[in-house]
Amino acid sequence: MMKRSLFVIIYTIALAILVSCQRGTNHPGYEFAPQMYVSKAYEPYSQVEGAKNPFNPLGINMREPAKNTIARRRYKTQFASNDSSKIERNLMIYNIHKDSIEIAEKKLTNPIPLTAEVLEEGKVLYTRFCQPCHGEAGDGQGTVAKLYKGVPNYSAGTYKNMNSGHIYHVITHGKGRMWPHGFLVNPEERWKIVYYVHKLQGNLTDEHLKAGKYPIVQTNNKDNKNNKDNQR
Amino acid sequence: MFSTSKSKWVKRTILSAYFVCSAITFLIAQADSTQKSSGSDAATLEKGKTLFNQNCVQCHGLGEEAIVGPGLKGLLDRRSEAWLIPWIRNSQAVIKSGDTYAVELYKKYNNTVMPAYPDFSDADIKAIIAYIDTESKKAPTTAAAISTPGASEGAVAQESGATGYLNALLIVLVVILCLIIAVLGVLLSFIKKYVAQEKPDLSEEDKELLNPKFDFGAIFRSSAFITGAAIFLVLVMLKSLLDFALDVGIQQGYAPVQPIAFSHKLHAGEYKIECNYCHTGVDKGKQATIPGANTCMNCHGEIKRESPEIKKIYAAIENDQPIEWVRVHNLPDLAYFNHAQHVKVGQIQCSQCHGKVEEMEVVQQRATLTMGWCINCHRQTVVKAEGNAYYDKLMFAHRNQGGKQLKVENIGGLECSKCHY
Repeated sequence: MMKRSLFVIIYTIALAILVSCQRGTNHPGYEFAPQMYVSKAYEPYSQVEGAKNPFNPLGINMREPAKNTIARRRYKTQFASNDSSKIERNLMIYNIHKDSIEIAEKKLTNPIPLTAEVLEEGKVLYTRFCQPCHGEAGDGQGTVAKLYKGVPNYSAGTYKNMNSGHIYHVITHGKGRMWPHGFLVNPEERWKIVYYVHKLQGNLTDEHLKAGKYPIVQTNNKDNKNNKDNQR
Repeated sequence: MFSTSKSKWVKRTILSAYFVCSAITFLIAQADSTQKSSGSDAATLEKGKTLFNQNCVQCHGLGEEAIVGPGLKGLLDRRSEAWLIPWIRNSQAVIKSGDTYAVELYKKYNNTVMPAYPDFSDADIKAIIAYIDTESKKAPTTAAAISTPGASEGAVAQESGATGYLNALLIVLVVILCLIIAVLGVLLSFIKKYVAQEKPDLSEEDKELLNPKFDFGAIFRSSAFITGAAIFLVLVMLKSLLDFALDVGIQQGYAPVQPIAFSHKLHAGEYKIECNYCHTGVDKGKQATIPGANTCMNCHGEIKRESPEIKKIYAAIENDQPIEWVRVHNLPDLAYFNHAQHVKVGQIQCSQCHGKVEEMEVVQQRATLTMGWCINCHRQTVVKAEGNAYYDKLMFAHRNQGGKQLKVENIGGLECSKCHY
C-alpha cells in the first residue's frame, strides 16, 4: 500500500513537470550551433556575450565619429525621370545656426524641383513624421497634439505666411515647444516636407505645380524670430 | 360628481402649465439679459470663437489652468482691452517697449514667444476678447471640455475595465456553479434521509442506486489501467522532448522585459505614431534601427516628464549611457536580411512579419523567422513590378518564357546565395 501511494505521487509529479515544462517569454530559447548564429565580426546590434566589443566603452560596437567631424557627402540625385536640373552640392549640409532663423528665412530656397511625385513623397514623409502632432490637415489637431498642446494651425495667423526657409529651419532645429527633427529626416526629406507644408498652408496651388517651382515669400515678421532662451 | 372632479383637474392642469410656461419665459429672458450685458452680439462672438479656435486654443485654455500660455479666465479683470490689443497683435514689441507687466509675464512663462498676429484688425481682437470673456464666465464646463488630458487615460482605464468585467463575470459564474453543486448535494442528502425514513422496503436495485458500492480502487489496481498510465506518461515525455527539439533555433513568442516599460500599444496604437517615426532606418538600410534617446525627447522633453519610466531616459542622457534595449528579433548571422529591400522595394507592411505591434504592451516575436517561413513568402509574393522600369526587361523575359505572374521565386528568391553567403 505504501509503495503504491509513493508510486502515484512520483507519477503525478513527473507528469506535472513534463506538462509545465515550457520556455518563458523572457528566454529566447536554444540554438543548434551558436557559433554560426553569432557574428564573429562586430555587428552594430549584437547583444550576445562574447560578441561585444572589448575595446569600446560599454561594449558597444558602434563608435561615435571623432570630434568636429564634418559630413562631406557629395550629393547627387535625380528627382524625376526627365529631370536634368543640377542639385546644389551642399544640399546634405545645413550649417545655419539654430538661433539664426532670420538668415534661413532670407537665404534658403528649396533646391528640389516641384513635381507631383515630390509633393506626394512630401505627403508620405509628413504623415510619418509630422502628422502625429500637426494633424492630417496641418491644423494642429493630431492624435498626439491633444496631449502635447501648443501645436499651431498652419493656415491661420502668421503661420500661413511662413516661407520655405523658415519651415526648413524649424524642422531642423525645432522652435518653441517643438524639438529638433533634423536627425530624423535628412535635408532632401525636409525639403519635400516643406513643399507639403506649403500645400497645407493653402499657399501651394496647381499653378505652382505646373510651373515646377514655388516662389520665395519673405515673412515680414521680424519680431517672431527664435531667440536663445526660447530654444530648448 | 364625475364631471365636477374632471373640471377641477382641467383647471389645475391649466394653472400649473401657466406657471411652468412663465417660469421658462422668465429664465429665457434672464439668459438673454446676461448675454446682452456682456455687450456683444452673437455674430461677434461667433467670429471670436472661430478666430480663437484657429489661433489661440493650442496654447490657451478658457479656465484658470495654464496650458502653454496662461489660462484666460477673467482676462479683462487682469488687463484692459486697450493693453490687450497691441499685446495680442505683437507681444514681442510690447515686451521690447519695456512694459513691466509684459516683461514679467514673458519671464513667468519661460520666455516662450507668443506668435505675432499682424493681420488681426482691432475688431478681430475685440471679438476674440469678447468671446474669451463670455466663455470664461461659464468656464467650469467649457474648460473641462477643452482641456481633457485625462481623456486618453480614460480610454485605457475603460479597456482594462472591460477585462476586469470579464474576470468578474467568470468569478460570478464559478460561484454560481459551486452554489448549484452545494444545493444539489443538500437535496440529495434530503432525499436519502427521506427515503431511509419513509421507504425502508426498497428493492436491491434501488438501494444500489442510492448507495453505489462502486469500487474505484479495483480500477486503479487493474493491470489495464497501470499499462495505460505508463503509456500515457511515455507519450507525454516524448511530446515534451519533441517540443523542445522543434523549439531549438526558433524564438517565436520571445518577449523579453525591456529596461524601460515602453508600450507600443500606447504609442503606435492609441497615438497612431507610425513605426517609421522612430525606426527611421527601415526604408534606408539593413536595420530598422532602434531610436536614440533624442527621438524620445521629441515628445518627452515636454510631456509626461514626471513618470519614473521616462526619468530613466533623462538619466541615460545625463550619464551619456545608451539604453540597453533587448533585441527581440534575432536572425542568425548565417542568413542575410535587409529591411529596406523588403519595405521600400517590396512594399511589405511591418505587420506582415512583426504582427500587430500596435496592440502589444510588450513586443513579442510573432513569426517563426524560420527558413521555411521566408521561402514560403518568397513563393507566394508577387513582385510589385508595375511602374518600376527596373523590372521591365525581366517582365518581358518572364512572359516570353510563358510565365504569368512574376513572383519573388522567379527573380532568385529561392537561390541559396541570395541570403546565405
